Amino acid sequence: MVDALKEARRILRPHGTLVDARPDSRVFAYAECRGATGTYRKTGVIATAREALTDDRASDRAIATAERKGWFRSLRAGRFWHRVLFEDRSAMQRYLEDHARFAHRVRWTVDAAKRRRWYSDGWAIRRAVHYEILMRT
Amino acid sequence: MATSTSAVGRLLPAISSQLRPPPEDELREYGGLGLVRRKRVIDVGCGDGRMALGCSPYASEVVGVDPDPEAIRLARKKVRELGVTNVRFKIGVAQELPFPDEHFDVVLLSWTL
Repeated sequence: MVDALKEARRILRPHGTLVDARPDSRVFAYAECRGATGTYRKTGVIATAREALTDDRASDRAIATAERKGWFRSLRAGRFWHRVLFEDRSAMQRYLEDHARFAHRVRWTVDAAKRRRWYSDGWAIRRAVHYEILMRT
Repeated sequence: MATSTSAVGRLLPAISSQLRPPPEDELREYGGLGLVRRKRVIDVGCGDGRMALGCSPYASEVVGVDPDPEAIRLARKKVRELGVTNVRFKIGVAQELPFPDEHFDVVLLSWTL
C-alpha cells in the first residue's frame, strides 16, 4: 500500500490532490427496511468482518506513513453514508453471505415477528464511507 | 442516498458499480466538481469505470487503471456506448503506473487502498 502511495505521488504534480475513500469500519453498518412512506427504519446492526478490519487498519497505517514521510499533507477528512438496496430480506442476506467485508449475520434490533412481516419489503444496507483529501507536497 | 436498483442482491460481480454511491454523490462529498474540473485525473483501481466515467464530463482527461482485465473490458465497453473521448482505460497495478512523473492533477483511490 505504501508503494502505491509512493507511485501516486510520483505521477501527481506538486500540490496535486489525492483522494483516498474507503468503507468506514470505524462505525457499524445498518440493516434497514423500507416503510410504506418510503423512509427506511433501522432493523439491525452489521459488523465489519475481522479480515476487513485488519485490511482497513493497514490502509490507515499506509496513509499515516505517507504523511510522516512528507509525501502528502492531509487537507480534509470526513464521512458520508450511502445505501445498497435489495429486493427483499433474503437478497440482503445472500449479499452478506457472499461479501467479505461484512459479518455474515445481522445483529437484529427488531423482533422476529416484525422481520417476518417486513420480509418482502425493500431492504438496504446503510454503510459509511470514510474519505481523506490529501495534497502532494 | 439510495445507490442502486432492485437488481442488487442477485448475482452481481464484485466490481459492480451498483454497490457503490453514484460518482456525482462521491464528488460532491469530496468538495464538488471543482476537484476534477478541467483537470487531468487518474482513477487507480477503477474497476468497471464508475468514478472515471463520472469525472469525464468535467475533467480534461481521465485515465482508469485496474489489474482486472474483465473490469477494463467492461469499462471500455461503457466508453464506446457513451461515446466519450476524454477517457481511456489501462490494465495495470497501483505500484507501477505507466505514466510520466507529475502528469496528473488528481489521483483517485476510491475503494482501492
